[in-house]
Amino acid sequence: MEVFQALQRLHMTIFSQSVSPCGKFLAAGNNYGQIAIFSLSAALSSEAKEESKKPMVTFQAHDGPVYSMVSTDRHLLSAGDGEVKAWLWAEILKKGCKELWRRQPPYRTSLEVPEINALLLVPKENLLILAGGDCQLHAMDLETGTFMWALRGHTDYIHCLALRERSPEVLSGGEDGAVRLWDLRTAKEVQTIEVYKHEECSRPHNGRWIGCLATDSDWMVCGGGPALTLWHLRSSTPTTIFPMRAPQKHVTFYQDLILSAGQGRCVNQWQLSGELKAQVPGSSPGLLSLSLNQQPAAPECKVLTAAGNSCRVDVFTNLGYRAFSLSF
Amino acid sequence: MSSESSKKRKPKVIRSDGAPAEGKRTRSDTEQEGKCYSEEAEVDLRDPGRDYELYKYTCQELQRLMAEIQDLKSRGGKDAAVEIEDRRIQSCVHFMTLKKLNRLAHIRLKKGRDQTHEAKQKVDAYHLQLQNLLYEVMHLQKEITKCLEFKSKHEEIDLVSLEEFYKEAPPDISKAEVTMGDPHQQTLARLDWELEQRKRLAEKYRECLSNKEKILKEIEVKKEYLSSLQPRLNSIMQASLPVQEYLFMPFDQAHKQYETARHLPPPLYVLFVQATAYGQACAHRKSSQPPRQDKMLSVAIEGSVDEAKALFKPPEDSQDDESDSDAEEEQTTKRRRPTLGVQLDDKRKEMLKRHPLSVLLDLKCKDDSVLHLTFYYLMNLNIMTVKAKVTTATELITPISAGDLLSPDSVLSCLYPGDHGKKTPNPANQYQFDKVGILTLRDYVLDLGHPYLWVQKLGGLHFPKEQPQHTVITDHSLSASHMETTMKLLKTRVQSRLALHKQFASLEHGIVPVTSDCHYLFPAKVVSRLVKWVTIAHEDYTELHFTKDIVEAGLAGDTNLYYMALVERGTAKLQAAVVLNPGYSSIPPIFQLCLNWKGEKTNNNDDNIRAMESEVNVCFKELCGPRPGHQLLTNQLQRLCVLLDVYLETESHDDSVEGPKEFPQEKMCLRLFRGPSRMKPFKYNHPQGFFSHR
Repeated sequence: MEVFQALQRLHMTIFSQSVSPCGKFLAAGNNYGQIAIFSLSAALSSEAKEESKKPMVTFQAHDGPVYSMVSTDRHLLSAGDGEVKAWLWAEILKKGCKELWRRQPPYRTSLEVPEINALLLVPKENLLILAGGDCQLHAMDLETGTFMWALRGHTDYIHCLALRERSPEVLSGGEDGAVRLWDLRTAKEVQTIEVYKHEECSRPHNGRWIGCLATDSDWMVCGGGPALTLWHLRSSTPTTIFPMRAPQKHVTFYQDLILSAGQGRCVNQWQLSGELKAQVPGSSPGLLSLSLNQQPAAPECKVLTAAGNSCRVDVFTNLGYRAFSLSF
Repeated sequence: MSSESSKKRKPKVIRSDGAPAEGKRTRSDTEQEGKCYSEEAEVDLRDPGRDYELYKYTCQELQRLMAEIQDLKSRGGKDAAVEIEDRRIQSCVHFMTLKKLNRLAHIRLKKGRDQTHEAKQKVDAYHLQLQNLLYEVMHLQKEITKCLEFKSKHEEIDLVSLEEFYKEAPPDISKAEVTMGDPHQQTLARLDWELEQRKRLAEKYRECLSNKEKILKEIEVKKEYLSSLQPRLNSIMQASLPVQEYLFMPFDQAHKQYETARHLPPPLYVLFVQATAYGQACAHRKSSQPPRQDKMLSVAIEGSVDEAKALFKPPEDSQDDESDSDAEEEQTTKRRRPTLGVQLDDKRKEMLKRHPLSVLLDLKCKDDSVLHLTFYYLMNLNIMTVKAKVTTATELITPISAGDLLSPDSVLSCLYPGDHGKKTPNPANQYQFDKVGILTLRDYVLDLGHPYLWVQKLGGLHFPKEQPQHTVITDHSLSASHMETTMKLLKTRVQSRLALHKQFASLEHGIVPVTSDCHYLFPAKVVSRLVKWVTIAHEDYTELHFTKDIVEAGLAGDTNLYYMALVERGTAKLQAAVVLNPGYSSIPPIFQLCLNWKGEKTNNNDDNIRAMESEVNVCFKELCGPRPGHQLLTNQLQRLCVLLDVYLETESHDDSVEGPKEFPQEKMCLRLFRGPSRMKPFKYNHPQGFFSHR
């Protein structure tokens, strides 16, 4: 009934987004386990109507929330409570689409199925790395689907992953407040940065959890409970602290800027020096995920989309203002 | 001078000679025979031609003499006088001749005239005679033609034809031998026969008339007999009433109701029929015995039947009334003009007039509470309205916050979604309202009752939404299909409202009444307490800063009821603003939270508050409890207390602040945080009794 649907929409949270390989579609996953596919090209075109801002198709993907999604050049991989499912982008728009396969990494505990908070693609090795509630990083070979190894080290569940391309290393940030670097070839922990122990950035009243990570080979930016900080990886020292009070949940490098979003309506744009260049408000009271559509195949759909504690995905055509919002 | 005087004397003589001449003549004849000088006789003797000659001569002589006198007078002399005298005497003589001639001429003239006159008179007389005779001739001619054309009356009578006459008439009338030859006799005979026949027929006619009279009298007698039967039957019916009651077969009562029902307007009639049928069907379903007095649904008709009859007066009477009232109206307007407002008021009252009869429905629920519904029909607007009242078996002490729950104005609001009963469902009424300046029916609903859509459907009135409908078709099938659903909805509505009533009484005292069959939903120990439960107004709700989302989503209309609950534990205070939809409990109440503990946390700045709201609003189906679901609100409140407990106990300890945690963790949780938004474990698992994440 109408009231029930309205309530559902009011209490919806969009956790993850992913852009299709052709660049024309955007997938968004929410806390009810649904995935919606929006057509960016239709919404951005000049004859866009209200219906273009609605999803082309919505389907129930998981039983629990869809915390993380990535796209390969043919598949959409989504993960939530304990499982990874793969969907074919080519088939996804048809009604009654079924997942191509689903995999569950080997968990130690059986009492509660741990969630998967982050998915990371390592294209060179054709690996998919999953991390989440069981405090381990699992690596799955995309061709065979087998789980190759698991990296242990975190003492509390893992929030986010980032890939350092040059020497293929994975960075993981977790609830225990540490950022750990793992070498993919040796499958060992290489470096640990305990962010909360650094006075400049720690904020004990927020907690010590690391909610977001982004890396640019030599540099890393992370935030969460502690303040958003830019680190120099080799020396493990915080170089810039961004003066943002609210905990940030997603951060990414873009050209020469750092974009971050978290509690609070705005998408923040920072200079590398630590200055706030712009704060662009969105439509959700808190943001959880940012996605930059940089697919070469669709340059007209080059937009920044932000989603979080609402049923809406904000679309920024120009980083200066919010153009419109797609909605579930 | 003497000639002049002789001239004067002579005309006198002539004139008097004229007319009485004959008289004088006769007298003079008798007196002086032979002595009179009759000039008339002389006239006959003299010749008019000679007289004329004489006249001419005399004139000449006169002229000559005058000339001579003239000469002599001009010449003068003494002889002249004698000459002149002489001549004068001669002229006198001539004068006398002239006079005589004149007299003669006059007499001749007169004679001629007389003669002409006589002749003329004769001619006239003849003429007259002639005309008289001609006239008489003409008259006689006319008479003759008249006589010739005369038609006897006997020819106008249609006589039977000759053949028939000879066939049918008896021989003494027809007298064939005589009549065949003589048409006169024949006609006479035929006339005789005609007369005979007519006499016979007149006889027959009189006989038939008398027959008819007899039969009419018989009919009268029988009629009287029958009419005397009616009162006796009535008295038998009366006598049988006690027997009917004894046997529980109130046919008489039902019959009376059907009688009054005949005067109901069509929509009310449809409602009455359907409701009675449904009531009987329900009673049958409940027990296999014959229908008993205490049905679940009882129907009655209220109001004045006479007034209803008065609405249908025959046209002549109403026309007379109109003319009378018009005359009266004119008088009153001359004396005191009613103001425009008063006139408009009267027109409004006229438009909103109700039919004098109304149908009363009593719905009995299991716990002996009764919902009284009175249905009215507004004649000019063609809609039905309803007034509701709830009575309970025991007297209810109304808690302050439950004021609106059972109020007649709002107890039936939104029985079907969106049916708030404040606007007239008949689109045609808008045009009528414009004429008399009524803006909306909302101002009059307290007085007239609510025109809900389901009421119209029960009465078989169907209003399509697009165009105004001019004729109203009352449809039994529409009413029948709606009756059952509506009755069920009404019962659930009353019961849920009564349940809420009881619950509110307890909530106001700070106790959340959780029934025993819902205990499994909550852990055994709940520390947070409900401290306050009050009603708030709709405007106050929309002003709250943490309810903006609900208002924007359009879920906070003015048909809902609003409440504020306060849950406390230690220093933490949780405010919950509740929207109660009239369709409770199929539509869940909506909670919006604001926590005051170490700062103000709402769903805008704290994901966990959002999660708590979601637990109560979105996952309400688990909280419904046993079937009718009346426990939903209390279960939601209890869950809210549990959630607050979990929230406070699982809050991570701030290392920088000294001192122990205000709320030690007593709940069993597998994990404290999960997912990118670091959710607390709000889901309670029964019977293991631990908390986990959804």
